[in-house]
Amino acid sequence: MKARRSHLPFIVLLLLAWRNLWRHRRRTIITLSSIAFGFGLAVLFIGLNDGAHNSMVRNAIKLGEGSITVQPRGYLQAPANHKFLPAGASLLAQIDSLGIPGHVDPRISIQVLASTAHNAVGAGLEGLISSRDQRVEMLEPFLIAGEWVTAGDARGILIGDSMARKLKVKIGSKVVLMAGGRGGDSQQHLGRVRGIFDSRVDDLDSFLILSDIALTQRFLEGEGADPTLQPVTRLAVYLDQQKQLQQWKNTLRREVGAADIEVLDWREMMPQLVQFITVDDAGNYIFLSLILVLVVFGIVNTVLMSVLERTREFGLLRALGLGRHQLLLLVFCESLVLSVLAVLLGWVVGGGTHLWFAVNGLDLSAAIGDATAMAGTFMDPVVHTELSPARVAQLTGIVFGATLATGIYPALKAARVTPVAALRT
Amino acid sequence: MTLLSLQGICKTFRQGEIEVEALKNIDLDVDEGEFAALVGPSGSGKTTLLNIIGGLDAPTSGTAHLNGIDITRLKESQLSDFRLFQLGFIFQAYNLVPVLSALENVELIMILQGRPAKERRARAQHYLELVGLGREMNRRPSALSGGQQQRVAVARALACEPRLVLADEPTANLDSENASALLDIMHKLSREQKTTFIFSTHDPRVMERAERLIKLRDGRIESDAVVEQADRAVPA
Repeated sequence: MKARRSHLPFIVLLLLAWRNLWRHRRRTIITLSSIAFGFGLAVLFIGLNDGAHNSMVRNAIKLGEGSITVQPRGYLQAPANHKFLPAGASLLAQIDSLGIPGHVDPRISIQVLASTAHNAVGAGLEGLISSRDQRVEMLEPFLIAGEWVTAGDARGILIGDSMARKLKVKIGSKVVLMAGGRGGDSQQHLGRVRGIFDSRVDDLDSFLILSDIALTQRFLEGEGADPTLQPVTRLAVYLDQQKQLQQWKNTLRREVGAADIEVLDWREMMPQLVQFITVDDAGNYIFLSLILVLVVFGIVNTVLMSVLERTREFGLLRALGLGRHQLLLLVFCESLVLSVLAVLLGWVVGGGTHLWFAVNGLDLSAAIGDATAMAGTFMDPVVHTELSPARVAQLTGIVFGATLATGIYPALKAARVTPVAALRT
Repeated sequence: MTLLSLQGICKTFRQGEIEVEALKNIDLDVDEGEFAALVGPSGSGKTTLLNIIGGLDAPTSGTAHLNGIDITRLKESQLSDFRLFQLGFIFQAYNLVPVLSALENVELIMILQGRPAKERRARAQHYLELVGLGREMNRRPSALSGGQQQRVAVARALACEPRLVLADEPTANLDSENASALLDIMHKLSREQKTTFIFSTHDPRVMERAERLIKLRDGRIESDAVVEQADRAVPA
């Protein structure tokens, strides 16, 4: 026998697949619609989820210690007032010289006992440059009484309304701030309430005391720090572009990291938030998997029906010389075309839904009220959907892959057709 | 010159607990250019024999040589290529791919054969014109009558230059007029192109035109006779 082999160009496969797909127009449209609807739902759900998580992360970074934190080694595991960076000014100058796009906030953290004549509570005193720190932008709108502390104010403090109630203080009240020292001694300074905030994050409102860095520096002086070197507990680095996080973290580790200085990113600083997002994502993925399973069964049903009702036609093609693997490719190609159409239509529906919610947002305040605080941060009550290019690629890949995979079984079934048996049907 | 040679072909089917002998020791030679008909009542083994010749079914024993190739020794993938390059098929019904036009149906086999686009398009048009469907070549099967569909099948079978055309009851679903027209076309093309045709039929109209009648009964060849053609006029 001559070694001539059959030859089926891909373009012919595509043509046949396209026409076969539209043989039952209504069925194909229903199938595509169900995939597009499922896909749209998944895009909306993932977009809202990512939007909520990103909102929490952004707020956590702003309320917390920035995208990258430079602080004494071991402070995260065991915070203590005597752990500080003694030469804050030179370290800040060194970091500034790197030209990081964003800005750097020097901060001092002191664990204190805040007491009044009525009560005493443990608190975290955070000293910052009150004219430019990121926390000013975040918390100033939540001031419910008084005013923000001014630069150089060595007595003024801002407290949350929960703490204000516990200490029974109002604007102008005195609060004694007492801090333990390294040698077991204690030191205390007087603070005067300049403002009260209600951030709606319980952890902040009941624990945080804000002041100008001048007040907190006095505590570090008590720990032996040289005020002329402008000691700090940490330098909070805020990046304009979060995608540059790893790059700048590596640079900072290389340039300022030392035996007694560590450089941490927000994930390392807030492991509880990372864990919360991971657990939340896992639950959402389970839900999305269920949607995907339903969509996949719908497609299998359609393609399998289409194969079973064409048994005789497949027998004819096999009799005429179409090889088994070519028949397999033909049916698989139908799934391929269906997958491409499904993804395209899915993105029209899902992308459209995403765009609308990305611009207008979904106002959850009626549903969740003030319960927007979680994992030490809070979520904006109006959630705007967010989809990163990686997420777009991931969603496209999952739906395309799942749709394509559904073609395997029908294609194998078609390829098993024997001409004689098929032509008898 | 002998094109097809069958020797000791037997075929046994199992129907539940019973073994049915569909073909019993068939010996048959068919020369190039013959227009032969396998005739006999239903269940006589016509279609089974045609399937074995076409490599669609394997015999239980015996050998089948076509153009020097022992079909019974070919693997499945080789059989597909064998059918593609050596044979043309015309079935009783549902011969065409519904989503392709008449022209595309005829072209499909030539695409599989790897013929150049221009050549296959020209050949497909030529054969569709020969079977009288020059004006209907862009219609899909659903827009063609049964007779027209069978003519497309004839054009498809011949356009790819097969050594042998196998036709299983090609006129069974056609009225007299269409059946007669189809037979005229096949006979004419067979004569002109020296293509070998083997039919299975119990249609008297086909038998009338056959040049050789091979009668089957109970899986055996009952008679094998060349029909005198002297008084038969080949239609123009």
